Amino acid sequence: MELNIYAYKCKRCGHIHYPYKTICKNCGENDHNEFDIVPLPKKGKLLTYTTLYNPPSDYEVPTLALGIVELEGGHRITGQLNIKNPKIGMNVEGKVEVVRKEAYNKHLGMVFYQA
Amino acid sequence: MREVYVAGIGITSFTRLEYPLVEIAAYPGLMALRDSGLKKIDQLYVANMGSGRVNGQTGLASAVVDHLSLTPAGAVTIENGPASGASAIKEGFMAVASGMHDVVMVIGAERMREVNQLEATDFVATLTHPLAEYIYGVTLPSLAGMFARLYMEKYGVTSRHLAMVAVKNHHNAMDNFYAHLHEEITLEGILDSPEASTNNPYVADPLRFYDMCPVSDGGACLILVSADVMKKLNKPMIRLAGIGQATDTHAVHERKDPTYLFAVREAAKKSFAMAGVKPEDVDVAELHDAFTILEIAESEEVGFFKKGEGHIALEKGETKIGGKIPINPSGGLKAKGHPVGATGVGQAHEIVLQLRGEAKKRQVKNAKIGFTCNFGGFGNNVVCLTFIKEK
Repeated sequence: MELNIYAYKCKRCGHIHYPYKTICKNCGENDHNEFDIVPLPKKGKLLTYTTLYNPPSDYEVPTLALGIVELEGGHRITGQLNIKNPKIGMNVEGKVEVVRKEAYNKHLGMVFYQA
Repeated sequence: MREVYVAGIGITSFTRLEYPLVEIAAYPGLMALRDSGLKKIDQLYVANMGSGRVNGQTGLASAVVDHLSLTPAGAVTIENGPASGASAIKEGFMAVASGMHDVVMVIGAERMREVNQLEATDFVATLTHPLAEYIYGVTLPSLAGMFARLYMEKYGVTSRHLAMVAVKNHHNAMDNFYAHLHEEITLEGILDSPEASTNNPYVADPLRFYDMCPVSDGGACLILVSADVMKKLNKPMIRLAGIGQATDTHAVHERKDPTYLFAVREAAKKSFAMAGVKPEDVDVAELHDAFTILEIAESEEVGFFKKGEGHIALEKGETKIGGKIPINPSGGLKAKGHPVGATGVGQAHEIVLQLRGEAKKRQVKNAKIGFTCNFGGFGNNVVCLTFIKEK
């Protein structure tokens, strides 16, 4: 089964939120059940990025690359990068992988590769 | 609303302090009481971000009010991320302006060096979005790195401009006894020389070591009073004239243009409107330069310079002491230090010193209107204050 990151689409106005909100940012719809869960696209362009040289202690790696990606459809997501020479504007494609391991917990999130 | 004045101020060194958090909060309170000549207060607000997590102590304000033997005055702890300090000043202002209290003490205090650098960074990172940012390993330096890269691409800001902010603020801090870093740096040492990559390694590229504020302990205090109390004290009449607060999306990627700091713009606009002044009237400002890029970006958003021109003004020396609008004469967060919950109160402390004309070697001449910007989260909760010297 292909893993996805899900966004929240307002049933009234169609506005897509990622991450989740209780009230629609666009139309003010305030019944918090009124969202459809939709998968976020995986392809997009790299908007900006950084390499962290002192990642948080949960990470047993010397550096950690992070970026913000503008996905097809215009939604944005923050994710990890697995790209040798990232450049602003390059095409990237995401995969859902483990992005953080804690003692008893693994978190899934989007990791981007060069498309 | 009643008018609100600053009757007394106090501060500790922003550095690594070897005494408990309660004392870090209490000493500036004692200094401010002595400075004002007051012996009693109606209410205490203590701004702090991490005592529960970092120091294992909750209910900080109750401990501080007792430590200062100011019981039975009311006491409340305020946690609002790195904007806790100015948020507490806002609460203090409202308590006096409303007529509920006449004398309110506002203390900001933080003891971050109780844990190591990585744990301190992780503690601050818990303010990022838990599911959309934190789980990826996002920290404040990484958000600043991504912000800086986009800013450089869009507006032509270079590493040299960032280094110039650091050089300026380190230089200012040399004359500030209470600053964390007393270390004069040069562009050659941190950017141009062959040793620069060792002296100044990347932390979150394009940001390097000297683009980041230090992790500091420290406390600061302001005593806010009504006009009636103030007139009896025979102190310079420094009025807290404007307060603006604004918020923005929790996750940075949700902002329409991630190079805009919308909450800074809104908070500054509200603060200036309330005080009845314009950005060009400001004589001295303390901006929240936790990262060098933020001083440039905030100087534009608050209205001192046009968007994309802050780095040009910096090049021309307009933000130095003696320039058109001196920014961070204290050394800023960059060199004075950043004890997160105390920072907003520390900024206000510097502005009051400047308006009183008590800032010694780093004094901005004839400063009458001062401004602070206390930036919480990565720009998702911002409080701006405007102070005016009367007479």
